[in-house]
Amino acid sequence: MDRKVYILGGAQTDFERNWTKEGKNMLALLKEVTADGLDGAGLSFDDVRELKREDRVACFVGNFIAEKYTEQGHLGALLTEVDPVFYGVPSARYEAACASGSVAIDAAQTKIQTGDYDVAIVIGWELMKTVDSKVGGDFLGRAAFYDKESKGIDLPFPKLFGRLADETIRKYGVNEERYMDSLAQIAVTNYANAKRNPLSQTRKWFMSLEQAKMRGTETNPYIGGRLAASDCSQVTDGAAVVVLASERFVKERYIKEKPILKGYGHRVAPMLFDKKMQEQQGSRYILPWTRQAVLDAYRRSGLSVEEIDVFETHDCFTSSEYAAISAFGLTEPGREYEAVESGMIALGGTKPINPSGGLIGCGHPVGASGVRMFLDLYKQVMGIAGRYQVMGAENAMMLNIGGSATTNYTFVVGRPKKREEDVG
Amino acid sequence: METKTVTVIGATGTMGSNVAGIFASFGNAKVYCVGRDIEKVKKTLPRIVKSVRADAIAENLIPADLSMLESCVFDSNLIFESSAENMEVKAGIARRVGQAMKKTAVSCTGTSGLSITDLAGCYPKKLRERFFGVHMFNPPYNMPLCEVTPTIYSDRTVLDELKTYLKDVLFRTVVEVKDSPAFLGNRIGFQFINEALQYADRYKDNGGIDYIDAILGSFTGRAMAPLTTSDFVGLDVHKAIVDNIYQHTQDHVHETFLLPMFFRKLLSEKKLGRKTGGGLYQLIRYENGLKRQTVYDINTETYRDVIPYVFPFEDKMKKYLAEGDYAKAFGQLVKNRSQEAEICVSFLLKYIVYALYATKEVGYSIEAADDVMAAGFNWCPPLAMFQAFSTATDVSALIRERLPDICAKVDIDRLLMDIEPSKYDYRIYFKSGR
Repeated sequence: MDRKVYILGGAQTDFERNWTKEGKNMLALLKEVTADGLDGAGLSFDDVRELKREDRVACFVGNFIAEKYTEQGHLGALLTEVDPVFYGVPSARYEAACASGSVAIDAAQTKIQTGDYDVAIVIGWELMKTVDSKVGGDFLGRAAFYDKESKGIDLPFPKLFGRLADETIRKYGVNEERYMDSLAQIAVTNYANAKRNPLSQTRKWFMSLEQAKMRGTETNPYIGGRLAASDCSQVTDGAAVVVLASERFVKERYIKEKPILKGYGHRVAPMLFDKKMQEQQGSRYILPWTRQAVLDAYRRSGLSVEEIDVFETHDCFTSSEYAAISAFGLTEPGREYEAVESGMIALGGTKPINPSGGLIGCGHPVGASGVRMFLDLYKQVMGIAGRYQVMGAENAMMLNIGGSATTNYTFVVGRPKKREEDVG
Repeated sequence: METKTVTVIGATGTMGSNVAGIFASFGNAKVYCVGRDIEKVKKTLPRIVKSVRADAIAENLIPADLSMLESCVFDSNLIFESSAENMEVKAGIARRVGQAMKKTAVSCTGTSGLSITDLAGCYPKKLRERFFGVHMFNPPYNMPLCEVTPTIYSDRTVLDELKTYLKDVLFRTVVEVKDSPAFLGNRIGFQFINEALQYADRYKDNGGIDYIDAILGSFTGRAMAPLTTSDFVGLDVHKAIVDNIYQHTQDHVHETFLLPMFFRKLLSEKKLGRKTGGGLYQLIRYENGLKRQTVYDINTETYRDVIPYVFPFEDKMKKYLAEGDYAKAFGQLVKNRSQEAEICVSFLLKYIVYALYATKEVGYSIEAADDVMAAGFNWCPPLAMFQAFSTATDVSALIRERLPDICAKVDIDRLLMDIEPSKYDYRIYFKSGR
């Protein structure tokens, strides 16, 4: 990472909201999050107007599949309907299934790195409650190979991640009960953390270890293979914004104490789940390309797992968070349950994962999730995460995946000073 | 505060059963569910489980009847009485609980309006300090408000422990209120609802009930229109609340707590609302599965189809809200001088003023008014309502202009001094669509 990319701040919407029930459309969502996001970054619409005149600002929109949920494409240009200030601002939509937010961030940071722009506004969003869960599940099936893995199948993704659970048990010979109890504990930790997050979807919901373990009951039915409702992330309406800036901009505005992007990783695994599973047989990791994306971010940031104080991961299902534990390097592969059982990854543990509540607790508006995670890294490093703050967090890492861990994106965000010391 | 074991008295009732679910889930307590008829209690248990969407709590629920009350209470750290809203019934139970409870236990009543101090008097002198009002809202799984009322006898340390338990363990929005009729949330909320009822009567030639609900619908910052809310909670409950306030308070909106004649007639005919299959509204279900929403027509005293009113100001507001243009929506509301828009504005402004007034009398801080209305009614809370209007106009000036009668009766300058930014986001409460 040659040039510094600063994170000025941003905002997320309240993930508890059902915008269809409120009778509000995507413009309402985008107007709110854009206004709040710029405000959170200390910028005004007038700032954007001025930057636009000098061709120093661009927008990057992350969204998976608005064409299906809201019958709308051309989402970069759609921002001109949000506010006339965006007339003339370069803006495009980026897509990588549930990692759409991350690919938008990556494009934005690249444009800051090249020096083309000084300010990059990243907006991730998805409205998912426009349809029922069965129809929505089918839409999401397009994140897999639709023809071969989703077509005509009810809720294809829970089934794929149920298979990941099966394969994990098979690969490592881990005791099945121990494994399933770890998944239950992962769900409970995410729900518990979400109670501390005033913008999380499940903040009023009840979950306990007993309930998470009572799979197959009326209130916790099986959804995909051995995974039950408590193992799944939520169907969520929501949006998130982060604003990135160049060093030149930060100096020009006398902006102080903002975190920087320290590294990233981006690896694509075989699209088909079967091929992923064939390929991983030669690796110690069940998701080798996920692991590689983590290693890439460590390499680019010059940091190791010991120096990361907090993680946000893509717990679309408990089985994916489980696999992420060793991918981050928190345990040896096959021994992920140790980090769950010891409390290491709980809030208050030595390496908290998902203090926000993650996709299970905070919610999962797919195109927004990458941006929401990135915003949470910013909040943690800034020390402004409120009741879900990890005390003294200096460096934070996120893992955002698309499909059945097909697109793998990682980012490391941290305080700039620390990095100079490390490198120096 | 020890809370391993809880007794809920009146566990077959709507509130009692839902509150038992809260203690058994978030509180992870063993809950004695006490009702008059143990068979009825047993039949209620699946509903309790469903209310918190958790089969895991089933093992925490123990059915009991009133003959077992003393043994349940003696075994409990916390007793929650949710029996019929009747002083004699509650006093009788309070005396039995007082004789049976452990010295270290805490006892609460869920009354929505009876005097907590009078009920405390039913306990032995030494135990009065451990008795409180704990008023939750329905359904508590979605409405986290919990109004806590101490009395002159209360032990402050016990009160603080109880509040901490309700807040940190049960995840309630805890608001301490004074022992005043109907406490704070219902005082503000039912002032609004009952005045809407009076307006329905006044404007019965315009349609009455559905006319007023159309003017004060979800686009005005609430999940449910006010008279639909009355129908939902039950006309008998509505009556109990407003009668209690009318009899025991005296303020500038005193007359707005009076029930109109047509409402008394519905009550006498036992048309109590949704729970009896008809009240202010009546949902007609046909054998083929079709449903038809009808409304009581005050003039003809019959149920007729709900009129799909379209008011130009409302139509424009909803279009703005649908696209997130809040300032334009409120601008339209304030600018439009149709009868309907003026009624709408006056209700929303009166709500702000009365909330400011009532919270001074019943609460301890202005935030209390916001907490009770957001967490107990899911209405845009008053301070947030002030902010919403502020996007379009000078609200203080608007209040003086539109509410001259009220401004003549209260010290409006003094009340408006309490206005501060709300911690609630007004945008989530104003909905477009029906």
